[in-house]
Amino acid sequence: MEVERKDGRGANQLRPMDHSRNVLNRAHGSANCSHGGTRVLAAVFGPKAGTKKNENPEKACIEVVWKPKTGQIGKPEKEFEMILKRTLQNICILTVNPNTTTSIIVQVVHDDGSLLPCAIHAACAALVDAGIPLKYLAVAISCCLTDSGQILLDPDKLEEQKMKAFVCLAFPCSVHSVLPEGSATAGGEPVAHGLITSLTQGVMTVDDYFRCLAQGRAAITPLSNILKKKLQSQSANNQSIAG
Amino acid sequence: MAATGGPNDLSSEMELDAFRRLFPLRFHERHLTESIRPDGRPLGKARETTLALGAVASAHGSALAKIGCTTMLAAIKMEVMTPTVETPDEGGIAIDFHMPPICSPLVRPGRPAELAPVISKQLSDTILSSGMIDLKELCLVSGKAAWMAYLDIYCLDADGALFDAALLSAVAAFSHLQIPVVSLNDDGRVVLVSEDNTVAMKEKEPVNKERIKLTLNNIPFSLTCVLHKNYILADPTSEEESIMETFLTVVLDSSFQLVSLNKPGGPGLAHTSAIQDCIKLTRQRVKELQKILNEAISDMEVD
Amino acid sequence: MAGKSSSTPATYAPSVSGQKKRRPLIQADSDWVRPDGRSFHQCRPAFLRTGAVNSASGSAYAEFGNTKVIVSVFGPRESKKAMMYSDTGRLNCNVTYTTFATPLRGQPPETKDLSSMLHKALEGAIILKSFPKTTVDVFALVLESGGSDLPVITTCASLALADAGIMLYDMVASVSVSCLGKNLLIDPVSEEESYQDGSLVITCMPSRNEVTQMTVTGEWSTPKIHEAMQLCLDACSKLGKIMRSCLKDAASVPQD
Repeated sequence: MEVERKDGRGANQLRPMDHSRNVLNRAHGSANCSHGGTRVLAAVFGPKAGTKKNENPEKACIEVVWKPKTGQIGKPEKEFEMILKRTLQNICILTVNPNTTTSIIVQVVHDDGSLLPCAIHAACAALVDAGIPLKYLAVAISCCLTDSGQILLDPDKLEEQKMKAFVCLAFPCSVHSVLPEGSATAGGEPVAHGLITSLTQGVMTVDDYFRCLAQGRAAITPLSNILKKKLQSQSANNQSIAG
Repeated sequence: MAATGGPNDLSSEMELDAFRRLFPLRFHERHLTESIRPDGRPLGKARETTLALGAVASAHGSALAKIGCTTMLAAIKMEVMTPTVETPDEGGIAIDFHMPPICSPLVRPGRPAELAPVISKQLSDTILSSGMIDLKELCLVSGKAAWMAYLDIYCLDADGALFDAALLSAVAAFSHLQIPVVSLNDDGRVVLVSEDNTVAMKEKEPVNKERIKLTLNNIPFSLTCVLHKNYILADPTSEEESIMETFLTVVLDSSFQLVSLNKPGGPGLAHTSAIQDCIKLTRQRVKELQKILNEAISDMEVD
Repeated sequence: MAGKSSSTPATYAPSVSGQKKRRPLIQADSDWVRPDGRSFHQCRPAFLRTGAVNSASGSAYAEFGNTKVIVSVFGPRESKKAMMYSDTGRLNCNVTYTTFATPLRGQPPETKDLSSMLHKALEGAIILKSFPKTTVDVFALVLESGGSDLPVITTCASLALADAGIMLYDMVASVSVSCLGKNLLIDPVSEEESYQDGSLVITCMPSRNEVTQMTVTGEWSTPKIHEAMQLCLDACSKLGKIMRSCLKDAASVPQD
C-alpha cells in the first residue's frame, strides 16, 4: 500500500525548507525561499503612491509580477499572478495604506514541484521584510493523490506529473492572540482552519478532497512554527547588526 | 447631504439607487439579512440559464450560453495536425477564452482583460483533466494525421460567473460538434469529402466515416459561489462579485466527482462547512445544467 | 502552406478535395447567378435588435444573412488621461473579428482600416458638441462574416448609438453594391465580393437625405456609378425605416 517515494521520504514528510530575508539591496523587502529543489526569489517595492485603474482607491492595491525561470509569460504565469495577488490581499491589512500600490516581483529560480506554496512563502517573507502590515502569515502546502488513494505531501516535479490529482492549499498561520479564546473562531472553527486559497487539478472524489484538506491542515502547524522561527531569528540578527 | 448620522440613519431618507451606489456593501448586507438578493433571487439559486446549439454556421460545433445576462459564444473549428511522437494516436484540443471590448466597460481595446488568460487556463485544465473527451477519438491516421480542435469562447456580455457560463458553452459546443468527413489524398494530405464529388472520389475511402460525433463521458459543470460572512450566494452577478470579493468555484462532473475546487484567495476565508455547502449547491446545479444541456440537444435533433 | 515548425504543431484546415473553385467566367451577355437565389436588387433579410449587451450603455445586434455583428456603445465617459481638453466630444471606434468569423480560422481582414472607416461613417451623424470633454466608445465584434461586413457594422453601430441615447442628427444606414461584369448586385455576400470588379458603399442619413460616407473601389463607368448610387440610396431609406421600427418596438416593450 505504501508508495515508495524516490527521495525516500514518508508520505507526510516535507522536503527541507529554507528561507532568508533581505537578500536584495535595492528592493524595499526581499526574500529567498526554497523547498527542496524548488527555489523562488521575491522582491517587494512600495507602498508607492496611487493605485492602478479599476482598483479601489480606498484600499491598498497589490500588484504581482510573476517571472518564470525561462521563456515568456503565458497563461499559467497569469494564473499564478492572479492567485498570488488574491492570496496576499487576504493576508495584508489593506486599509492602513489606502491609495497606494505595493508590487511584489516573484522570480522562479528553479521549479521542482510545489511551486505555488514556495512562492507564497517567499512573498510573505518579503512582505515582512518590507514592513508591510499583515494580519497573519499565509502557510501553503500542496498534496498529491496517488492512484491507490494515498496522499503525498509536498510532491516534487516528477510526482506531480505522475499523480491522478493535485491539490494546493493555503491557510492562515496560527495566530497567538491576546484576545480571549472565543474571538479567534468563526462559525465554530478556529480562524487557522479557514482556507485562503485552494487550487485543484485532476478528478477525485469529494471525500478525497476533504482528506487532503485534513492532511494539509495537520501539516500546517509545524510548518508555520518553522516559518515564524526563521523570521524571528533573522530579525534578531538584523537588530544586533544594526545595534 | 447631511453628514450628521451614520449611513444607517441615511438609509431611510435616501433614494434607493443613491444608497446602492454610495453604500454598496450595506445595501447588499441588508438584503442578505432578509435572505433575498437585489434581483429577487434566494441566496442559493442560480439565474435563468439558456442554451442554444449551432449558433455559428461557419464553425463545426458551436453554442450560445446565457446565465442571466452573462452571455458566452463558443465555437469549434477542426483542423488537421501531425500528432506528436509521444502520442501518435491522439489529437489535440486548444482552448482560448476571449473578452472582446464589447463585453464590459472595463475592457478597452489593445489592452486585453487580466481575467481572460486566467479563465482560459482554468477552462483548459478543467476540460482536459475531466476526461470528458478521449483524445484518441480525434485520431485520423495513427502517427500521420489527427484532429486539432480549436475551441474559442467569446464573452459577449460580462455579468458575473464568467467561468460557469464559459464552461457551459464549451461543453455544449463539444456536444454539438460534427466532425467533417475526410479522406487522405495522394500527397498524404487530408481533404474534405463533400457530397457533390463523392462520385469522383469513390476510390478514396473516407477515414472517419463512423466517427463524426465525439462521445462525451463525465461532462463537467460548475457553480461559482460568493462567500460573505456566513452567507453563500450562488451564481453572483458582476455587482455582487465586485462588492463581496471572496468566491469559490466548484466543478463536478456528471457522476459528482470533483474536477476542480478553486478558491483564489480573496479577503474571506472558507471553512469546511462552507465548502461542503458549496459542493451541495453545485450538486443541485449539475442536475439542472445537465437537464438544460439534454433539452438543448434534443431540440437540435428535432429541427 | 502548413509550414513545419518544431514547437507548436502546424495545423491546416482540410480543403474540399478535387478542383479548387475558380471564378466562373462571365461572358459579356450572361448574367451572374446569386448563390442565395436573390434577385440583383434584393437585399438579404435583415434582423435588428437593440439591447443585446446589458453591461453597455447601448448595444445592438444585426444579422444580414450570414453576417452577424454585435456593437456595444460605452459612454459618454472620461477621455483617456493623455487626451487634451476639447470642447466637443470624441468618438472612438474599434472593430474586431472572432477567430471563427471567416472560413479559414484566424485570418480576419484588416480591422484597423475598418475601425477608421466606421469612425468616419458615424462621425458626421453624431452631435459631438452634446458631450464635451468626454468620449463615446463604439466597439464592434463580427461574430460571423458573410459579406458586406462594413455596411452591416455601420448600420448596427448607429442603432446602438441610438439605443445608448447619444444625440444624433439622424441614424445612419449603410448599403453596398458590387459590380460584377454587367450586373450590379446589392448587399453582396462574401463569394460575390471576392469575384467583384468594383464596389460602392454609401452611408447616409435617410431622413436628412445626407451622405456621411461614400467609398468607391475598382473599375466603374460613370452611368454605372449613378445607377449604383441610386440603388444604394433607395435601399438605405428602406433600411432606415426598419431601424426606426426596431427602435420603436424596443421602446414600446415595457422594461422590467
